Amino acid sequence: MLDTSKSVESVAHNKSSDGLSRLKVSRRAVISLAAASLTGCRRSSRRGPIEIVYWTGWSGHELDVQRNLVAKFNRTHPHIRVVMLSQFGNSGYEKVRIAFAGGSTPDVMSTVWADELAAYAMRDVLRPLDSYLKSSHRDVTKEYMPGIARMITIGGRVFGLTVSSSTNFIAFNRAIFEECGLDPDHPPVSIEQLDSAARKCTAYDSSGNFIRYGFRPADLSMWVYPFGGSWYDEQTGTITANSPQNVSALKWMASYAQQYNMRQMQAFSTTFGSSSTPNGPFYVGKTAMESTGEWERAFVKRYAPQLKWGWFSLPYPAGGRQRATTLDGSIFVIPAACKHPDEAWEFLNWMTSHDAVKTFCWSIKNVPPLLSVSRDPLFQSDPLFRFTIPIQQGPAAFGPPPLVTWTMLKSAIGRAEDSVMLGGEDPVRVLNRLQDESVRQLRRTMEELHP
Amino acid sequence: MNTSMKSKRDTLNGVLFASPWILGFLTFVAYPLLASLYYSFCSYDAISPPHFIGLENYRIMLTQDSLFWKSLWNTLYMAVFGLPVSLAAALGIAILLNQRIRGIAIYRTIYFLPSITPVVASSVLWMWLLNPQVGLINTSLKGLGMTNPPDWLSDPAWAKPALILMGLWAVGGGMVIYLASLQDVPVSLLEAASLDGAGTWAKFRHVTVPSISPVILFNLIMGLIGTFQYFTQAYVMTNGGPQDATMFYALHLFNRAFQDFEMGYASAMAWFLFVITLICAIAVFRTSARWVYYAGESS
Amino acid sequence: MTLNTAAFRGGSKRITAASIIRLLMTHLVLIAIGLLFALPFYWLVSTALKPDSQIFAMPPVWIPHPVIWSNYPKALHYIPFALYTWNTVKICMYTVVGTVISCSLAAYSLARIPWRGRNLVFATLIVSMILPGQVTMIPTFAIFKWLGWIGTILPLTAPAFMGNAFYIFLLRQFFMTIPRELSEAARIDGCGEFAVYWRIVLPLAKPALVTVGLFTFIGSWNDFLGPLLYLNDERTYTLSMGLQRFVSQHGAEWAMLMAASTVMTLPIIVIFFLAQRTFIEGVTLTGIKG
Repeated sequence: MLDTSKSVESVAHNKSSDGLSRLKVSRRAVISLAAASLTGCRRSSRRGPIEIVYWTGWSGHELDVQRNLVAKFNRTHPHIRVVMLSQFGNSGYEKVRIAFAGGSTPDVMSTVWADELAAYAMRDVLRPLDSYLKSSHRDVTKEYMPGIARMITIGGRVFGLTVSSSTNFIAFNRAIFEECGLDPDHPPVSIEQLDSAARKCTAYDSSGNFIRYGFRPADLSMWVYPFGGSWYDEQTGTITANSPQNVSALKWMASYAQQYNMRQMQAFSTTFGSSSTPNGPFYVGKTAMESTGEWERAFVKRYAPQLKWGWFSLPYPAGGRQRATTLDGSIFVIPAACKHPDEAWEFLNWMTSHDAVKTFCWSIKNVPPLLSVSRDPLFQSDPLFRFTIPIQQGPAAFGPPPLVTWTMLKSAIGRAEDSVMLGGEDPVRVLNRLQDESVRQLRRTMEELHP
Repeated sequence: MNTSMKSKRDTLNGVLFASPWILGFLTFVAYPLLASLYYSFCSYDAISPPHFIGLENYRIMLTQDSLFWKSLWNTLYMAVFGLPVSLAAALGIAILLNQRIRGIAIYRTIYFLPSITPVVASSVLWMWLLNPQVGLINTSLKGLGMTNPPDWLSDPAWAKPALILMGLWAVGGGMVIYLASLQDVPVSLLEAASLDGAGTWAKFRHVTVPSISPVILFNLIMGLIGTFQYFTQAYVMTNGGPQDATMFYALHLFNRAFQDFEMGYASAMAWFLFVITLICAIAVFRTSARWVYYAGESS
Repeated sequence: MTLNTAAFRGGSKRITAASIIRLLMTHLVLIAIGLLFALPFYWLVSTALKPDSQIFAMPPVWIPHPVIWSNYPKALHYIPFALYTWNTVKICMYTVVGTVISCSLAAYSLARIPWRGRNLVFATLIVSMILPGQVTMIPTFAIFKWLGWIGTILPLTAPAFMGNAFYIFLLRQFFMTIPRELSEAARIDGCGEFAVYWRIVLPLAKPALVTVGLFTFIGSWNDFLGPLLYLNDERTYTLSMGLQRFVSQHGAEWAMLMAASTVMTLPIIVIFFLAQRTFIEGVTLTGIKG
């Protein structure tokens, strides 16, 4: 019973004033009664190690690696016992949002997606890590790649740490390049070269259906960066959805919709809602190029071990940005309602240390966000990492904008893209509308947060 | 025994027996109903306390949220096109199964099973069946000579019909209720109709349908409510896509509430839905006087 | 084709050539449509037995070759299957017991006890059936948050003990059909109201209770939104949550997903088959008349 009533108190400490709490019903009585009758009592021994709950979003092999790391931490830190629970799957990240809304969060979680960090941080449901970092003599601006350090800092405070990162690049099929008269050792650099390669690699059957297509541009939220665009200007605090660069990025994407049958292309490429199946178009030679990330290596190994493939960074137009990438991924955070923040920090500090990051990133073949690990010979000996690490460290690596409404804006971007690519709408009009709507939404949400 | 004492005791017992539900109604229906009405006039993110903003949510909903209208249209599409088809299919199958022949239990089980299959499992299964390239449905259609079968869930024009098709597979719930009511159709009436020279269709039209019309009404109302709350299939299979073709009202509402933390706005949407449901239900009841016959009312 | 039962129910037992042909035709139609209903299940089961290469093969492979049984143990290990099953069963048990008790009590009150205000309560009950769940979802979530129940199974089980309008309605309709004389006789023997409910009405209402119990069980077994909202500790997850975990951002583990779906559907099939007779009887007798 002890444990139950204790958790009740901590819930009461949360700011859960729903108007209801003014009622004089004894909440504790209701809960204890129900808890006793339905769930039984949980026992906790006072002298044992302090138990902290950690939510992870990784699955499969990556989950196993996490499990080993946690086991190692528990072995070496007898005063703390980390219980790892996984929240992976389609609804995993949804559950995290609901947990925040419901005030029932664990002590540490790596299930916050970079896109959501600002929304949580600005709603004060995360614990800022600055004082912990300072007491542990850590400085994110010196340890992390610059883009990553910017990404985890919201309003001047650090709200999360990362252990892995991935890069946007384009994978291409070497055999198809050779067959179509392209030099696989000199893949496209500019947008024009990409367009011409895509044209050359596209083939139709006698009735005009695709046998193979060259390239399908998708994800406007990413493509604005090589075009020199962005979504948000942090200096002026304005959304820049319809900037000229963004418009030219969407116009470029729309040029594919004019040349090719997008719907057919999409049906071709998104079998089962995802390209990562053995008959994903890239693995069976139905597309020459595919926009992807470091994870591609594992998929090729699993689905098309014979495939000869190469990579090149996102092509850019004249005046655009070379070697651009977006940054995202899972972020480790300590929720504000954490019951054992010191122990949570000890765990988080250990998980984001050089050795743990090195083990984790190498096992799952992700880019290490820590500069010291990225310089490690282990990673420098790998050709793909030698290619992607400089992109990650470069000036054109962009994390999600620190906007409280970013997830909403991002899904609106996706819809805007669809209405151009599949609905044939005009890019300028669509982006102007997006700009208006997202500015309104941002103003509304900001008013809610600071009424 | 004293009558007033008995009536007092009856009242006490009546309230006592019904008290769990009365308590449940107050806690989980009456209070939430009023609370959500209040939230609908607030901006509320479930993390900080709600604060009153008047009709703002309703104004944005009706004038600025294009997805609101889209989701409303998608939901009405299901109600107008999907619901009648599935009601008719359920009745047809119920009639087919209402026979005393060997093995009927097995048939009934097979026909009923899809409706009790976990929605998550059946959604996943149908994503597979509906796959444009390797799905069973398109493979069969191609086998039957169709050269260009639809892309189903990846085509905005076919995504809703695909979900209706999947719904047809799971008509068992309505079917069972029809089946039960068919067993109550007075045999004497059917025999009398036969003697009068009525054919199968005439008997169906003039005897069976009137006798089961209350059940048709029941299934219609329940189906309408179910359609307005259509959620899990879209959440699991399409998450609203392609091009918002399966962004249904309940899904949009859920996303606004639990993805965007716009609980106040979602409450406004919920109340709007409640009003629409109420209007539809009243409209159906109004017209029902013309086509629903209650036994004992007249013959 | 015969569309009506009367021919078989009241018709003569004499076997004629015509009746045999008609019987055959009936079976043929039932089998043909039955195949359409069963085919997706076959696909579910057979996909679970295929190797990756055949799952995605074009044209589709009808009979798995070789049969890969290992997808089952793999799926059962990928997620803590036994634990999820136990969690689901536990929630189902609470909801079934809670629903049957609370609904039959309320239905008894509405059907068998003449009390003032009864009609008002019944009318309220009918209207509340129309209320979309979305309207109450957010405040209900807030109530459970206030109680500190989020992350426990209580939000999924406790409301069951407070009745369900639809089932109360079904049971009330059924209780109305039980002859008054029975309870009067019991009362003369000195039975109180509860004894009449418990010893006379409940035993007679078995088919209706089984029906309500079965509906509740299925609803609870298949519930997705409830666990999605209220469970966030994987140690309390249910099967429908578990299934979601085979689907991730970078695709799904299809064979395992199908295997797990099969295993999740199986208990429902068995229970329905066993309860089929009582169930249909229950639905019939509850006489839903709008």
